Amino acid sequence: MSSVVEPVTLPKPVIKKTPKSDDDLAPTFYVVCWNDPVNLMVYVTHVFMKIFGWNKQKAEKHMMEVHEKGKSVLVREGAEKAEFYVHQLQNYKLHATMELAE
Amino acid sequence: MKLAKQNGENWQYELNAVEADLLKQLLKNFPFTGHVPVKISKVNADSNSIEREKLLNESLAEHRKELKKQANNLIAAKKFNPSEKAHLLTLNAKERETLLQILNDIRVGCWRALGEPETTELHKPDCSAQELARHQLMNLAGYFEHHLIGLTERETGRH
Repeated sequence: MSSVVEPVTLPKPVIKKTPKSDDDLAPTFYVVCWNDPVNLMVYVTHVFMKIFGWNKQKAEKHMMEVHEKGKSVLVREGAEKAEFYVHQLQNYKLHATMELAE
Repeated sequence: MKLAKQNGENWQYELNAVEADLLKQLLKNFPFTGHVPVKISKVNADSNSIEREKLLNESLAEHRKELKKQANNLIAAKKFNPSEKAHLLTLNAKERETLLQILNDIRVGCWRALGEPETTELHKPDCSAQELARHQLMNLAGYFEHHLIGLTERETGRH
């Protein structure tokens, strides 16, 4: 014979909301590299390694993404850092832009 | 073009007479094309983006002037030394990066001046002398870029 258990109502969990800092609210940007037919594949890989300090495998992965998909999101950063990376990439004549992240 | 020896930070490249002459001409006559303004965003066109874009283009123009100085320095510093068999070009890591940026500026600049074609192959049978010259410059810069990176990678990959 089974016993009948009285239903127990659990209290609602209390979720503490931490106030968002200015940094959390600041917009972030994607640094995007776009494909073109002129920059050599070895050159693009070299530049990614140089600027982001990536190993060859990671740099090649992004380079191939640029080559095959037309673009690659390289990093997501705050405005200042994203702008810095775009300047660096453009100094090497790569087609790079910064796009507002949603 | 090949790597003759590596002495610490300094790398010595061996170029034949034609390669040495062509590379010197590229450096001497840099830049071959004018600065073409670039966009900082494909989508955003708000006031912040416009200001950022202005700064980017000013910075790129300034960087180009600096590259021109560096190109002159590379020639003036007697980086090219003719030996019995070949011409030796000695570069440290910073100079190698500068040279790569100069070469790619030439390559991309010529491509833009050609109207940003979808292929870097020359298909037009009736191209002008200027178009032909730009096309050859673009390929020449690519030739040196390819070798500089390839030789560096091959050597650093061994260690």
